[in-house]
Amino acid sequence: MESLKENNKGQWIALSGLVISLIIIGLAALANQAVLAGYHSSNAALEFPKENIRELNSHTRDNAKIIKDLSIELNATSNETISSIYGRLFENYSSQMKKLYATHGETVDLSLVSINSTNGTNGTYSGHDIDMILVNITYDDGTTLYVSDPELIEVKE
Amino acid sequence: MNNKAQLHTLEGLGAAVLMTLTILTISQSTMIVTPQNELAVDVHLEQMSNDALTVMDIAPHSSAQYNLTECIAGWDMTEATYPSSPTSDLDELDEGLSYLLPNILYNVDLAYFENDNLNVKKVIIKGSPADNAVVVRHFVTLTNETVSDMGGAWNLAEDELKVVEVRLTAWKV
Repeated sequence: MESLKENNKGQWIALSGLVISLIIIGLAALANQAVLAGYHSSNAALEFPKENIRELNSHTRDNAKIIKDLSIELNATSNETISSIYGRLFENYSSQMKKLYATHGETVDLSLVSINSTNGTNGTYSGHDIDMILVNITYDDGTTLYVSDPELIEVKE
Repeated sequence: MNNKAQLHTLEGLGAAVLMTLTILTISQSTMIVTPQNELAVDVHLEQMSNDALTVMDIAPHSSAQYNLTECIAGWDMTEATYPSSPTSDLDELDEGLSYLLPNILYNVDLAYFENDNLNVKKVIIKGSPADNAVVVRHFVTLTNETVSDMGGAWNLAEDELKVVEVRLTAWKV
């Protein structure tokens, strides 16, 4: 042991060992932070209802066109105005969407604001005059609230 | 007896212990999450499943014989049974989904309201979902015209719209 105390060579080797240890500690801490960031970003991607909102929006857009075509078709065989038929069908669509989203604990509200036509006025439209539908869309899952007030839907072909 | 470099030997031992303790401390203090962790796989699976339903719904007739709405409109209202009839009569839908979701198993349910009652019907059954299953949904709207064109068994009036939720439960094995 006496010889060990007197042997003071190899100081650089001892120092490099310490440096290497510190580098390893630093790298381990960095790697740990990186994987934790991956965990949190995945979690955020899963929790945010991006697809539910997108689906509500795009399906309402598609249905605005479907309801328009159906309204024109029904108007040809009834005395009811296109405006009235459109309102009734949209209300029916809105009610079904509300119930289907409610089964997942989400609240949606779809309300028809106006039917715009370049030619017809006061609810009297002929043929394919309807060119723009205005709809209010609201989505709420308790954490995320989405409101499009109003959503402009181009329906002219 | 050669008693030189004794300190080097001790230093090597000390460094080894220090490194081991460092790795142990870091790995035990927090949860190790790798890029292949379960949540990352779930995100990927959910994205793929959503895309599959969206692609099925907007597929032009040049790439798919029937789109999602047409497939659902043509349903004969009989539920799938496993394993005798796992796809009921929605073979076209199953074919499209299996192409878009390779190496992924899935079940498909249809949810809709009939006289204020929620109906959930199983139409494609590929097995029992695993723990890492994700559920995605897509809506289709049926009218009397689309159902008549496809020869389905939905009983819809001329002025009736039926919103159907297509629920896809997907998992990797």
